[in-house]
Amino acid sequence: MKITILYGTETGNAEMLAEDIQAEFEAAHDVNCQNLSETSPDDLAPDRFYLLVCSTYGDGDLPASAQPFGAALTKAQPDLSQVHFAIFGLGDSEYDETFNHGPQKLATLMTACGAIQLGPRIAHDASGADLAEDLAMPWASAVIALAQTALGIPA
Amino acid sequence: MTGKICIIGAGPSGCFLAQALLKSAPGLEVDVIDALPVPFGLVRYGVAADHQGTKAIARQFARIFERQGARFLGNICVGRDITLTQLQAAYDVVVLAAGLSGDRRLGISGDTLSGVYGAGSLTRALNEHPDAPPLPVLGPRPLIIGNGNVALDILRLLAKTQAELEGSDLGPGPSQWLAQNRIDHLTIVGRAAPERAKFDTVMLKELAKLSDVTIQMNDIAPSATDADGEKLLQSLTGLDGKSDGPRQLIFRFGLTPLALTGDTHVRAAHFSNAAQQQVDIPCSSVITAIGFEAQNDWLPRDALIQSAADLSSGRLGPRLYAAGWFRRGPRGTIPEHRTDAQILARTILADLDPDAGRAGRRALGQIKQVTDFDGWLRIDAAETQSPPTGRCRSKISSRLRMVQIAQQEGTRQ
Repeated sequence: MKITILYGTETGNAEMLAEDIQAEFEAAHDVNCQNLSETSPDDLAPDRFYLLVCSTYGDGDLPASAQPFGAALTKAQPDLSQVHFAIFGLGDSEYDETFNHGPQKLATLMTACGAIQLGPRIAHDASGADLAEDLAMPWASAVIALAQTALGIPA
Repeated sequence: MTGKICIIGAGPSGCFLAQALLKSAPGLEVDVIDALPVPFGLVRYGVAADHQGTKAIARQFARIFERQGARFLGNICVGRDITLTQLQAAYDVVVLAAGLSGDRRLGISGDTLSGVYGAGSLTRALNEHPDAPPLPVLGPRPLIIGNGNVALDILRLLAKTQAELEGSDLGPGPSQWLAQNRIDHLTIVGRAAPERAKFDTVMLKELAKLSDVTIQMNDIAPSATDADGEKLLQSLTGLDGKSDGPRQLIFRFGLTPLALTGDTHVRAAHFSNAAQQQVDIPCSSVITAIGFEAQNDWLPRDALIQSAADLSSGRLGPRLYAAGWFRRGPRGTIPEHRTDAQILARTILADLDPDAGRAGRRALGQIKQVTDFDGWLRIDAAETQSPPTGRCRSKISSRLRMVQIAQQEGTRQ
């Protein structure tokens, strides 16, 4: 399956996780990895599955590299009804009031444009005991399986 | 592309720069030197012990040494163990990313009284930096001067209960010190009006969770301001009256420091308010958190910056660059330095004119007791294998002990 990992990052931690996911799945799939800052909503294609990896920054905001993409979704309201995505969030529960608000905002913007979200939005907690990749790999396996069904691609 | 690059300082700016350089040009030899036997600088010794989520960026930096091929060379003091000139002769490029570790002084009468401490120095002591002075006796009424996030870190740690420090890496000494402090009034004073304070609102929100304090907001008046100022005012007023604890946490704004007074130990701070009236605040100690400056002890930072060829691009001179706070002064958060480092990496790669005859790290061969990244991994393992209850790490604070553990097995470079 064709998979694009799109990351929104401020400190680089989401970029590192996105690259880890790419390394994990590129043997079995056609995977590329791209910064949301270099992605336009018009680039999103119906025959690819999008794995979004996004942090939260500031007071529950999108991280800097996801902000232009988020703004483009808000402004242009493109029709994404053929686009399938799943989203993994990075956050820090020390800031509990805004914990994982960034990925939540991004998911809401995507679905508001009609995009189809597969699987749950998982939130990693930087102040918790788990490593992000230990949560992200099982999540990615599960949502890739869902996407194969949704996109009608034999496993 | 080839070339030998030496980055002085293994803190966030130096690490982000090594990361950006090696991402663009994986064939480079990038050596990251630090005066301490351990890497990550501010992440380990500046970021507060209860902000483990922020400290988790160290995992990203570790990749630079584990996978991208950068070399860590710790326990080398440039200026003492090797000169900057020697490094410039040995490497195609030298980058100064040594940060700013000196506390800026108030520069008013009484600022040398006993009982006056710099926030950076106190932060390093709380983080068990090997060169930090002992933690001081603050008395019942410490006064923090400064309205930025460094001031908030100190304020929050001083106000936290032992239970609220669970999960941090605050060491036994600092933990005991906090438990024994008998603070009943903790005051924080800023020069600017409240809507122009440099606090991050997300860090103010953390204060609402403190169980042991009652927050008093003073000097807040409605004022014409922008959206950010409005949000800040809302955050501040939202804290007023939280959380019914016995200790008073008092915010004051718009007060310009005039003098500190006391016989030999500080007893009061004197300010001027917006109406030019004098405001006196009694205190048992003063913690200044008004910014950082170069210590200029081994590296003549201020002279290098003054003679810089083009400071905005990071060029100090031929094949010599500055990054991070060392370049731009004590402003900007950790991620802002990531962007800066990416820009500087492009500049360096555009300028780079490698000379294969340069010695590179062989020039460091005579320096004794150098630690490497494997050595850091041994220290890290020793610190995390059996931390005390409620802590995620037990820091080794002795430089000698760090070097011993780093060199316990394997060979050093």
